[in-house]
Amino acid sequence: MSADVVVLGAGLSGLTAALRLAEGGLRTVLVAQGVGATHLAPPTIDVLGYDPELVESPAQALPAFAAAHADHPYARISAETVAAGIGWFRDKVPGLGYVGSLDENLLVPTAVGAAKPTAIVPEAMAAGDLRSGGRFVFVGLRAFKSFYPAYLAENLCRAKLSSGATVEARGIQLNDPGQEPDVTCMEYARQFERPEFRKAVTSELLPQLQAEEKVGFPSVLGLDDHRAVWQELQDVLQRPVFEVPSLPPSVPGIRLFRALRKALRSAGGRLVLGPVAVGAETSNGTVDALVVQASANRPTTYAAKWFVLATGGFATGAIDLDSFGEVRETVLGLPVAGVPDVEALRFSPGYFEDHPMARAGLAVDEHLRPVDADGNPAFGNVYAVGAVLGGAEPWREHSGNGLAIATGFAAASEILEGAS
Amino acid sequence: MTKLQTEVLVIGGGSTGLGVVRDAAMRGFATVLVDRSDLATGTTGRFHGLLHSGGRYVVKDPKAAEECIHENRILRKIAADVIEDTGGYFLTTPIDDPEFADKFVEGCRATDVPCEEVPVAEVLRKEPRLNPGITRAFAVPDGSLDSWKMVWACARSAEANGARILTYHEVLRMIVEGGAVKGAVVRDNRSGEEVQIDADFVVNASGAWAGKLAEMAGCEVTVFPGKGIMVAMNHRLVNTVVNRCSMPSDGDIIVPARGVAVIGTTDVKVADPDEWEITREEVQKMLSAGENLVPGFRQARALRVWGGVRPLYQEKVDSADTRDVTRAHALLNHRTRDGVERFVTITGGKFCTLRLMAEETMDAVCGELGVQRPCRTADEPLPDSEEKRYYWLGARVQQREETLHQDQLICECEFVPRRGLEAAMLRRPTTNLDDIRRVLRLGMGPCQGGFCIYRATGILHQLQTISSSVANRSLLDFLQERWKGVRPALYGDQLRQVRLDEWIYQGVLNVGHLPADEAQGSGREEVKT
Repeated sequence: MSADVVVLGAGLSGLTAALRLAEGGLRTVLVAQGVGATHLAPPTIDVLGYDPELVESPAQALPAFAAAHADHPYARISAETVAAGIGWFRDKVPGLGYVGSLDENLLVPTAVGAAKPTAIVPEAMAAGDLRSGGRFVFVGLRAFKSFYPAYLAENLCRAKLSSGATVEARGIQLNDPGQEPDVTCMEYARQFERPEFRKAVTSELLPQLQAEEKVGFPSVLGLDDHRAVWQELQDVLQRPVFEVPSLPPSVPGIRLFRALRKALRSAGGRLVLGPVAVGAETSNGTVDALVVQASANRPTTYAAKWFVLATGGFATGAIDLDSFGEVRETVLGLPVAGVPDVEALRFSPGYFEDHPMARAGLAVDEHLRPVDADGNPAFGNVYAVGAVLGGAEPWREHSGNGLAIATGFAAASEILEGAS
Repeated sequence: MTKLQTEVLVIGGGSTGLGVVRDAAMRGFATVLVDRSDLATGTTGRFHGLLHSGGRYVVKDPKAAEECIHENRILRKIAADVIEDTGGYFLTTPIDDPEFADKFVEGCRATDVPCEEVPVAEVLRKEPRLNPGITRAFAVPDGSLDSWKMVWACARSAEANGARILTYHEVLRMIVEGGAVKGAVVRDNRSGEEVQIDADFVVNASGAWAGKLAEMAGCEVTVFPGKGIMVAMNHRLVNTVVNRCSMPSDGDIIVPARGVAVIGTTDVKVADPDEWEITREEVQKMLSAGENLVPGFRQARALRVWGGVRPLYQEKVDSADTRDVTRAHALLNHRTRDGVERFVTITGGKFCTLRLMAEETMDAVCGELGVQRPCRTADEPLPDSEEKRYYWLGARVQQREETLHQDQLICECEFVPRRGLEAAMLRRPTTNLDDIRRVLRLGMGPCQGGFCIYRATGILHQLQTISSSVANRSLLDFLQERWKGVRPALYGDQLRQVRLDEWIYQGVLNVGHLPADEAQGSGREEVKT
């Protein structure tokens, strides 16, 4: 098997890089063991939410943030590249109707009723924006165990907004049709695609709604037919309707995955899910081929001119910490930066305290090529993007999907530049 | 101040205290038990869950061995639901002195611990993960027991016999008048209210804390807190209890318990039962010891680490090594020992001997009170053990299957259904999810609460009409409690899990930025009515 570029990993950073490369005219193969974090987390494009105080404008905050965090991936790419990458991304998934900008973070409610800063959200989440306050009602579904509207609403009422605006919120628990006591988000998403189910929900809900209320549902409003589902609910309820993400899996994240997969295939890229990378063939400081293995099959080599590692961090096993305390990058054995000494503090006693080990990951040069301790690229033709990069704590900074898109876009741009 | 009147006041809600309160109530005494926290939050909820055959002590501590096997036989009759009948092996591994095995056999004979040599090939067939370098193997009637279930069963039995159990009631001072203990003043740690409990007799059953309590009555009791740590591996690496056939040392036991296998333990003397840490060296020692028993142990997924402090009692203080202190229990009659009447301390001992300790204690109490009331605990089964059927690994799945289509599964790892969760929340009203955890094992499985903490918080908020700030505090406390357990052995697959949980709680839910509360107290007071 050979291609111009092999991208390893099918999370948001890998999909972004692969799509851009395929559109740029390179023969691109995306190989992954399975789907990535799109299926776990909502597709809000968080660029920078906390530093460590709430960030109101990512565009304004990024240059200073990059300057203050020399090891952070944002210090390797310019704020312009971040903006360009996110702009490019929005155009590629028009079906999700992304709303927002890097100039000002939105504040959207989470399923516990905390306000979460995020730069850009799918249109079906936009009406949940809390910045100017207002009246909200949150709707629980009979058999959905991962959404508690009363708890959410009560917390939200206590939100302190910098605008001084206040939030009024309440919860409603529906008794929607069905017998099963335990219905998953995927099953509810399919139910919402049935007109008779929507009718049952809206006729139960409409009489309970008050004037001027915006209506929040758990993020299960359809999968393939989501836009029509969402629009119909707004029409029938005559109020803005929005989704609130909750525990994995993430229905809206899966929508994004499907949109990107479709775009990748239209652009001529290939997506191969299943094989595990087990090694590489290298010569003279370049990787010639990745060796992958699918289940019990014999290993296959994927030869290419360029390789993009979008393998994720500790969460995916791309970076492994073993029982003796040794850290390694598992595909190419690349040097891992930011690993505290084995006797030093790696994880703090307090859950919300700083955990130095959490920032361990690959260090890269300004072209996003992994480097050794002296700053030299480990391989001339290998790039790293997304959560495998060190120096960040995206779940605390609220920067995950922004980093994934920006670095995926930037690495692809580097490769395209080299190719032309 | 509220006043309560009782005949017997038991201090300490661990296995010792629960044994005593059950025994006392069954003998017909009006009885009250107090604990500063929830039940089984001290040493009892923090051991490896081994039902000792006594084999571990046959050479070193024959008295403890005799007590263990005596009680092992009784517990199998009265507490079957609490026990998984795994059996146990003593194994001569490559690092063990081969000559110890003969001493072991001799010791078993002398102490009446049943022991049968088994061909190594047969052991390896049954437990294929064990070290193939094992040279001798002996089968003994060890088992695996669930300390929390035992405690709840004792509590239910005691309450059914009229006892009152007051959790979160901390002893502030003992009432001593005219050379006799007359009760204690306790504080309800949730409401802050003080309660005076007048009692005819006080039993100090506070384990590693017994010295502190005895001192309140003017008696000097020296209890060594002996720290032991345990690591739970996320697999049944063995289905039989395995012990090294040698003198007791660190990490020489693996106990299969429900879906996990627990390796233990260490023994380090600490100054204060409330102030100690788990060190990296101790964890490494456990993992290496595991590797000796089960090669590849380090590649398995470690789930969490915990430690407990054994109450080790010695009348004369002369040993630095807590391994040398007997595991047998000590009953101190403070009238004969210190001239303080109506007061005994029962400490030392082992979980497995809780019933025997209680029997001896209440015999002494009866003697002091000049009454004759026989002990009935050896014959009457505990609640849920009436049918004398052992617990088995599939029991929870079986229960769950019965309600599969009628109820939600809130904690998928530990099969906790919604109705069971709600019933537990209503039965023992609490705003603290950690209390629920000890009853139902909520959040104890591989994901360590990653999915169920949010759900349980939402349900608790709905059911108990607590304010969202109390619910938030409970959620955050639970996250911290889980973190405390995974942090000391955070590597490999469990680190992957922790990272997923961080994404859920910090990334998706943003629990680090819940609305700030003016009064974020203990999270246990503010209950909306």
